[in-house]
Amino acid sequence: MQVKIIIGTIAFMLTMIILGFAAIREPGRLEDFTLAREGRQIETGARLYHNQCATCHGVNGKAEECYDAATGESIGCQGLPLNYNQLLCGDTSARMSALNWEGSKLAFIQATVSSGRYGTAMPTWAQEYGGPLRTDEISDIVQFVLNWETEELCSQPLFEYPWPETIDELLVTFPTGDAVRGEELYTTYGCSGCHGNLDDSTSATVGPWQGNLAEEAGTRVEGMSGAQYVYESILHPNNYVVEQCPNGPCGDSSSMPTNFPARMGDSETKPQDLVDIMTYLGLLP
Amino acid sequence: MATFVDQVKEMGLKQAAIAKADEAVERITAGMNISDIRSALRGDEPRRPNPRLRPHADSFWLHIRPSFYHTEVTHIYPTFRMGWLSTFMFVWETITGIILMIFYTPSPLVAYSNMWNILSNVPLGQLIRNMHRLGAEVMVMVVAMHMLRTFITGSYKKPRQFTWATGMILLVLTLMLSFSGYLLPWDQLAYWALTVFISGAEAAPAPAIINQNILLILQGAPSLGAGGLLRWYLLHVLLMPLMLGIFFFVHYYKVVLHGLSLPPGREEIGEDTAKRVPKNERTYFIPDILTSELMWSALMVLFLVAGSLWLWDAPLETHADPVVTPLHVVAPWYLSWSQGWLKLADKTLVVGFIPALLVAFIVMPYFEVGKSRRYVDRRVGLSVAFLFMAFMLVSNWMGTPEYAVASSPDREVSIEFLPEQGPSLMKAVPYDEMLVGKFLPGQEISGNPHMTEALAELKEAVLANSCTMGAPRIVTIPEDEWRECRVVTLDDGSKRYDLAFKEDVMPDPYVELIIEEIQPGLKSLQLVFNVTEPGNPDVLRIDTQDWKTFIHADSNYEEECRFANKSC
Ligand code: HEC
Ligand code: HEC
Ligand code: HEM
Repeated sequence: MQVKIIIGTIAFMLTMIILGFAAIREPGRLEDFTLAREGRQIETGARLYHNQCATCHGVNGKAEECYDAATGESIGCQGLPLNYNQLLCGDTSARMSALNWEGSKLAFIQATVSSGRYGTAMPTWAQEYGGPLRTDEISDIVQFVLNWETEELCSQPLFEYPWPETIDELLVTFPTGDAVRGEELYTTYGCSGCHGNLDDSTSATVGPWQGNLAEEAGTRVEGMSGAQYVYESILHPNNYVVEQCPNGPCGDSSSMPTNFPARMGDSETKPQDLVDIMTYLGLLP
Repeated sequence: MATFVDQVKEMGLKQAAIAKADEAVERITAGMNISDIRSALRGDEPRRPNPRLRPHADSFWLHIRPSFYHTEVTHIYPTFRMGWLSTFMFVWETITGIILMIFYTPSPLVAYSNMWNILSNVPLGQLIRNMHRLGAEVMVMVVAMHMLRTFITGSYKKPRQFTWATGMILLVLTLMLSFSGYLLPWDQLAYWALTVFISGAEAAPAPAIINQNILLILQGAPSLGAGGLLRWYLLHVLLMPLMLGIFFFVHYYKVVLHGLSLPPGREEIGEDTAKRVPKNERTYFIPDILTSELMWSALMVLFLVAGSLWLWDAPLETHADPVVTPLHVVAPWYLSWSQGWLKLADKTLVVGFIPALLVAFIVMPYFEVGKSRRYVDRRVGLSVAFLFMAFMLVSNWMGTPEYAVASSPDREVSIEFLPEQGPSLMKAVPYDEMLVGKFLPGQEISGNPHMTEALAELKEAVLANSCTMGAPRIVTIPEDEWRECRVVTLDDGSKRYDLAFKEDVMPDPYVELIIEEIQPGLKSLQLVFNVTEPGNPDVLRIDTQDWKTFIHADSNYEEECRFANKSC
């Protein structure tokens, strides 16, 4: 019996020592698991992003390189850039101020993703609002989106080009266009994904074919020059919606992305892209 | 009665305090004062009348325990302490379970993040969780071993038939308790194990209307959701423990009533002398049995704490997703045999057979009425029992995914190399050593043993799922390691390529692993397969881009592997 008492006492003391040891390393362990939780949320978020969001916001979140989910073909990006300093940098980012958002950044993105943006192509995602994703999936995606915030991204200057009302005013700053570069940009911005190639009127899939836009643009709105019409159509697609689409397919009028002012205006020199594209389309000399 | 003040006046403060303490101890122990306890601990003979018997008469907790045992049953053999250990595990599970309950809400919205909260935010939370989960597995094992021992020593025989019957009920409750807890973390593992398992109810040999309603009751809805989780939670924390407690007391009452059976060789055939214990063969509960039980408790606590800290971590997979069925749904090991049976026989048959088998076990002692408990006289019974156990082991093995039905070969390779759940060699590669670039199976990367090892595993997975028509396309796999294709022409004229033991593999595949860093701290791992029709490279058999997995620097997969949670 004495032996049993000794064994029991030793076992008890060992247990206490082990518990003490566990308690000492506990803060570090908790931290590891907090990071692990976040890491795994980001992993799941990445998977969901690639399945659900990349078609509109681009593989790398820059609203470039979008692929059709079903066919894998390259298409134009409809969404705004998310891997983007205006959205992610600062406690109140530029996008949050633009939309008068008063809560946190996390809540801003979470709310946008959950409920979508009414009147734009951004769909509703949360199941409670009729979307396909569960709450936990939304918060995983949000973690993934927030993970794009880096010092490098945020050290780029915030810039939003003050687009002038008319094309003529823009041409004061950017007097000449380069049609060859414009042709390239027409593809990289994804225009050709919807509007097809200028030399083949059947290649347009979503938006109207633009091979003869140079002749027709001037006729669309009474009293407006072709160049001004196209300028506005690119920057503010909803100002005018092509009626009946005389030149081939005319998908949902909301599918023409509204993000070109941001994408072509995030630096002092970027609007040159727009001038080049319009030159390529034959609307500027 | 003299007040304390009077006593102090009479004998001085020190003596009075000792007397008071003595009195208090005697009350708490319901009969033993300090010197009685000390003499018991020293192993002295008790004084007369024996104060060590009074707690059995006067206290609630000890009145359930016998005041002495037959010395023959106090050694390791014949009980192996298994019945006691089952009780210990139940108490252990209750305590750790109540702690976990504080941090858990049974709702699909928060259950899973509750688990992560326990792991990442509750001090010693992971330890408590591991202790509860490890305890659950140990309890199932211990109860099964207890049953085995009562069978082998023939303790189920008259007059202990009813003890055995209540024991069977306790076994079922133990399994149900363990299984109902399985769902609560609300991860993929839990969700699908339960979904697949209770879908068995649908196949019960009863009219469809009954089956469907049983299933509906078990799931709380047409599919497992908030209602179902709440039901299983209540089963787990309320109904099952309550029933187990009730049946335990019935069980133990019978055990004490009949006395623990002596080792079979110690009594005449057909006699039961457990209750007639000669004076010189008594071992008293106080102090001997009590000390022994306390020692075993201390050892078990030590084992469970150390085991939970170093041996084993409770798994937690990704969030339950009713839409995504994992390729291999795994039942907990103690129910794996039933999955094995499903591969052998028709579902209805299996689902009907299990309750029948249970009933057979419960009533067994009333039919197996052989008088002798001795091993030599029970050759047939013991042989049948061992055959049954062997059958259960084989069934269990068949129920594990090793025996799973194969899917497409590229999927098999991906699942082996980059499983959706749980760690693998590749996931275990430290983040910094996970190089960005394109890699081939079996490629050796100098100075990077982990990647090399992982790619070697990829090579094995590829070789197990492909064959060659004489023109292997992966340069890093030596030609002589490929195995010849066996070409089978199907009825519709198309061809299938087989290995000796595997149908439908990839003829001369090209497989490549592409690793990219897509965010700070986040890499994507993509397996690309390209398999063309042998003899006609223009026709693709398999061409995939979508086996993509993401790995984050902080995800801690190596850690899981290091603790040997799963094989990797
Ligand atoms: C059908 C195309 C489409 C899909 C798919 C899509 N989005 Fe969007 N998203 C948009 C558009 C268009 C906007 C811009 C809305 C506006 O003009 O305010 C947007 C805006 C956003 C914004 C706000 C950006 C800002 O600067 O205000 C976030 C965040 C966002 N999306 C996240 C996501 C996530 C996450 C997913 C995947 C679950 C997703 N989106 C899927 C089209 C899409
Ligand atoms: C996602 C598909 C899509 C992408 C990408 C896209 N568009 Fe469009 N676009 C449309 C649709 C649909 C319309 C017709 C509805 C409307 O007018 O808003 C349209 C209309 C236009 C119009 C008016 C055409 C007319 O005939 O009146 C112009 C100009 C135009 N887009 C230019 C561009 C340019 C330049 C780009 C690339 C920088 C581009 N679009 C990218 C879908 C797209
Ligand atoms: C939660 C589960 C169980 C608990 C807590 C439990 C508890 C106990 C205890 C404390 C004893 C006395 C000590 C011992 O024999 O080791 C006992 C005896 C016994 N148990 Fe169990 N038991 C459980 C399950 C079972 C099962 C599954 C069976 C068999 C089907 C069973 C059959 C018996 C029998 C026949 C005895 C009498 C043994 C004898 O007299 O030698 N019990 N049980």
